[in-house]
Amino acid sequence: MTAPTILLVEDDPALRTLTARALGENGFVVRPASAAPEMWLALEAGAVDLVILDIMLPGTSGIDLCRALRQRSDVPIIFVSAKGSETDRVVGLELGADDYIAKPFSTRELVARVRAVLRRPPLETRVGGREEGVLTFEGWTVSLPRRALTSPTGAAVDLTGAEFDLLVALLDHAGRVIARERLIELSRTRLGDSSDRSVDVLVSRLRRKLSSGGHPAPISTVRGVGYMLSAPVERR
Amino acid sequence: MKRLLHRPVGLLGRVVAILLLALLFEFAASTLLYERASQFSVRDDEARRLAEHLVISRRLVAEQPPAQRAEMASELTTTRYVVAWNDRLPTPPPIAPALDAMRRQVLAWEPSLAGTDLRLRLTSPGRGAVVTGALRLPDRTWLYFRTLEPITDLNLAVDRILLALVPAAALMVLGGTLVRRALLPLRRLAEAADQVGSGDEVPVKENGPGEVQRVIIAFNRMQARIRRLIAGRTQALAAVGHDLRTPLARLRLRAEAIETPDLRGQITRDIEEMDAMVASLLAFLGGDSDPETPVLSDLAVLCATLVDDATDRGREASYHGPDHCEHVVRPIGIKRALTNLVDNALHHGDHVWVTLEPHSDFLQVRVEDDGPGIAEDKLEEVLQPFVRLDVARTRDTVGFGLGLPIVVQALAAEGGQLRLSNRAEGGLCATITLPR
Repeated sequence: MTAPTILLVEDDPALRTLTARALGENGFVVRPASAAPEMWLALEAGAVDLVILDIMLPGTSGIDLCRALRQRSDVPIIFVSAKGSETDRVVGLELGADDYIAKPFSTRELVARVRAVLRRPPLETRVGGREEGVLTFEGWTVSLPRRALTSPTGAAVDLTGAEFDLLVALLDHAGRVIARERLIELSRTRLGDSSDRSVDVLVSRLRRKLSSGGHPAPISTVRGVGYMLSAPVERR
Repeated sequence: MKRLLHRPVGLLGRVVAILLLALLFEFAASTLLYERASQFSVRDDEARRLAEHLVISRRLVAEQPPAQRAEMASELTTTRYVVAWNDRLPTPPPIAPALDAMRRQVLAWEPSLAGTDLRLRLTSPGRGAVVTGALRLPDRTWLYFRTLEPITDLNLAVDRILLALVPAAALMVLGGTLVRRALLPLRRLAEAADQVGSGDEVPVKENGPGEVQRVIIAFNRMQARIRRLIAGRTQALAAVGHDLRTPLARLRLRAEAIETPDLRGQITRDIEEMDAMVASLLAFLGGDSDPETPVLSDLAVLCATLVDDATDRGREASYHGPDHCEHVVRPIGIKRALTNLVDNALHHGDHVWVTLEPHSDFLQVRVEDDGPGIAEDKLEEVLQPFVRLDVARTRDTVGFGLGLPIVVQALAAEGGQLRLSNRAEGGLCATITLPR
């Protein structure tokens, strides 16, 4: 497997160099660009596996650039912002960015996000082509781009990062059992120490938050193996 | 031109207008008095007697040569009437309404008097009012007469008092109302000035007397200037905040190259602290996000998630309350407020208890810790921005001291309140109340 190529669009020269170096040290091939024109040139120069985009670029705003990029290509996008505001994050994710990272970030954080995005199946192979990333089950709605959960009554339900990841994993394998080991591995990126117990705690928390009107959450325990989401999931 | 046409009337103009109005009123009142007098009529026999006396007196006086006329006139004076001769028309006293109806009565009895330019007036109307009058002799001299006995029927005393009182009272009411109206914009200006700095300022409507209007215009301009000044400062600070994050990002990546783990850890923590400060500054100044729209949110799950986040970070935290509690709030603002309270509690204590209690007309969230608490006299002070109680709280505090002011701000947007108190068993209790 060849090293994934990352196009890094960042206007601050020093930060561009530092980020490129950090990614390079972690086994990625980096093509740096300072602004939109360079980015288009770099995209024409060859295939790119992922774009890291600074949202406050000179000339074009990162959001416009993200929209333009999304119209031309399905390449995964992670955008970087100094604003760090929730609305900014939501706007970017709704425009089709795959993830978001706020300045200042550590190499560990950046590499973890890049790997997570690259691990996702390529867009064209996903069922139904380009999706909105909205999943529904038993009246609950999960928006993957916004990382938001809405209850059957329409209320916003706040989950911790680890709980949301667990829920997404369960939804991705709806009707099938996921081994506890797999879940431990998944939650390792979120939780410092990950053990059998912490996954069980996570599941019980999620069950409590997903109960509604005395209705238990549709998560069943398969003794000695793992957990399963026992409800039909619809994708939009 | 339009400006000129709509030039506001000044205070002076208004006072003049009020006086003019008062004079008009007075004029109208006296006109009414005269009108009433002119409609006044006497008993028929009285009119007849007067008519006859006048006809006789006229003839007798006219027959005499001018030298004897005064004497003849005095001879004609009876217990009822005084008659006098004069070669010119005596000027009537100032308040002497003409008695038109009575004149018609007299003329009806003696039509021959019609050509004599007969005049009848009511002199000193009111108590002891007498009728005075004059008629012209053929040689253009005048015969003057007046009744001796007061005409009892013709008593306008009550009318006169009323007519004097009504305008006075009306004038006071009218004048008072008008002056009050003229000064109303001034009062509104005072109220607006009182509001400056406490939330949304509203421009005062530019009306009222010219002088007041100029003050209002100046005040509105001043208000706008202050707003621009504050907005400018806020934007500048927010921009500085944003721009600080790029060097912070560089610093953070550079710190990773430091070989000594201790030093690397310390520098990383310093960078995190600076980032937290920038974040709190941006949150407080509102330079970080657009105004939020309220949506239905599950506050119980939000509290539980904040507690779970803390336990995931290895801290001791617990949530007490229902599994679900849906309420319409601005989710980001409320989450930030609760996060600040939980972070504060964990900073000063070892354990945090978050309790949600739904009541029929309000929701209460309590965030309690087992830290040192806050001195009673400082409980109010810590809600002010940039106040830090490093002395009172033994551990070092991070940030600008904006944590609690951000909570107060977020709750104000929801119509809620924050109250701080010290727990009997030690530690601080932050109570949030949200109206339902």
